[in-house]
Amino acid sequence: MGVVHGEEMVLNIGPQHPATHGVLRLQVRTDGEVVSQITPYMGYLHRCFEKHSENVTYEQVIPFTDRCDYLSSMSMNFGYVVAMERLMEIKVNDRVEHIRVVMAELQRIASHLLCTGVFGLDLGAFTPFLWALRDRERILDLFELTCGARLLYNYMWVGGLSHDIPVGFVESTFEFLDYFEPKVDELENILAHNKILVERSADIGVMPKDVAISYGVTGPNLRASGVKWDLRKNDPYSIYDRFEFDVPIGEGQKGTVGDCWDRFYVRIIEIRESVKIIRQALASMPKEGDVHQSLPKKIRPPKGSVYARTETPRGDLGYYIESDGSPIPYRVKMRSPAFTALSVLDEIGAGWLLSDVLAILGSLDIVLGEIDR
Amino acid sequence: MSSDKEKLIAELVNKGLDGDMDSVNACDDKIIRAKAKAMIMKVKKGTLDRPEIPLVVSDTPTNDHKEENVQDNVEDSFQKIKKMIADKFPDSLIEHDKGDYIQVKPEQWNDIATWLKSEPSLLFDSLQCQMGIDIGDDMLESRYNLHSMELDHYIEIRIAVHRSDPKIPSVEQIWRIADWFERETYDMLGIEYTGHRDLRRILLPDDWEGWPLRKDYQVQETYHGIVVPKMKEGWE
Repeated sequence: MGVVHGEEMVLNIGPQHPATHGVLRLQVRTDGEVVSQITPYMGYLHRCFEKHSENVTYEQVIPFTDRCDYLSSMSMNFGYVVAMERLMEIKVNDRVEHIRVVMAELQRIASHLLCTGVFGLDLGAFTPFLWALRDRERILDLFELTCGARLLYNYMWVGGLSHDIPVGFVESTFEFLDYFEPKVDELENILAHNKILVERSADIGVMPKDVAISYGVTGPNLRASGVKWDLRKNDPYSIYDRFEFDVPIGEGQKGTVGDCWDRFYVRIIEIRESVKIIRQALASMPKEGDVHQSLPKKIRPPKGSVYARTETPRGDLGYYIESDGSPIPYRVKMRSPAFTALSVLDEIGAGWLLSDVLAILGSLDIVLGEIDR
Repeated sequence: MSSDKEKLIAELVNKGLDGDMDSVNACDDKIIRAKAKAMIMKVKKGTLDRPEIPLVVSDTPTNDHKEENVQDNVEDSFQKIKKMIADKFPDSLIEHDKGDYIQVKPEQWNDIATWLKSEPSLLFDSLQCQMGIDIGDDMLESRYNLHSMELDHYIEIRIAVHRSDPKIPSVEQIWRIADWFERETYDMLGIEYTGHRDLRRILLPDDWEGWPLRKDYQVQETYHGIVVPKMKEGWE
């Protein structure tokens, strides 16, 4: 950190601090109340995902991906199987694709609910957090119904799924959506247009377009900066090209395009878009189809490499898989969206008050499990 | 037996008699393979005449046409980008016959990267992924997946360096995200990015020994007096 001047102070936030959303240490250099530099230190949660992957077979990597982003494990599974299926040129049947899309979008809702709820909590609103968790609980129940696990699913396999959806799942999901849609409006009313939240987040931590692209920021954070970029639309994987949905972008309704409020509000609209996708996917899901139909007996991809990206709740998740033709991966690299989102913190956070930095960090929606891997 | 199969057998037999037994063995249909081999034996013994080489009937399926077109477009844009780099930096490009990536030498990498980002017909403004890999033969490789938001095209660039002097020019001032990506690759593989303003370990502690993702990595025995657990065999 170099020379510290008389009026300046170096402050450590974390590693154990509720505002850092996990085990993260921010070394903050402040001048009075104004922050002049933020240096994140991470690695407290490093579990050697990439090293482990080089020692287990391809199918054994999937439970590790669960544990990277533990708030959107389905999406992490999805990214890995999409990459593997592209490498092995496996085509799965329509029923599997539909179930995968439903699960990924339910996961997106669950993850965005937690993010928006916690964002309110960071700024002092306690009630919306409980409301968000109450509804997230119903989604976790649906996942439990499907695969028995509430957090770490190991549900999507290379070439299929671990289980078919149980009897009554489609009806329960429709029932949940009918219950949930009014709740989104409720959440929006209590949070998004609340005067305290608007004053704390509008015009704060503005991230311009070019900064976001240069720092590799993706997902809702990029869209909040006004870039209409969503892999589900721009580079469709799985069967996303069959569904009708909009890609919401930040419009600067309460302040400037790309401020904390936009990043928060884009997620609320995305919840509604995900509901649309789930309704369409459930309605068009084929009744017949074996989810184990395309499971390879032995996963032994040909020699070569693949880089595949999918859209998780936090942005572009990329897997770079290098295969040497054996049943064990030669190298697996995960390009984590939260990692890139955290790297921009110093750029957009410097120059704001200390309390604003915590709002900016909350609006970026990071998960430390994914950053440290 | 249908005439298609007879033609196939005749073709295989001719190939086998000319010394190309691999293509006979590569035939998927067991029956055809066996019949072809039997016929080759007979011809060699002299009990049968060598069959005529059949006219090759092209059997390109028509329903894959659309997919091929998409593939061709991707291929075309890749070849175009590769040619542009070859024209601009003829000394840096390493030619290879595999299709999907561009291999360059480390020396001019910074200039190439600046050019890739600013050239109006390329505009690679987003570094999607940067990763390091130990490719064996004492070589380490740094791979860059570039994407253009504006023009929506991708390329992969690979730069290989020898383990004894693993130095690659840094591109962190061109794509800011390379700052952390390069720190991670340095952390895991020990590739030094020259010109990086803040090259420290990022995920591991500063005083960790060795580069974990190199294939010859030995786990250190203790760390500050704490015993480092070894890779376990089987279930506990």
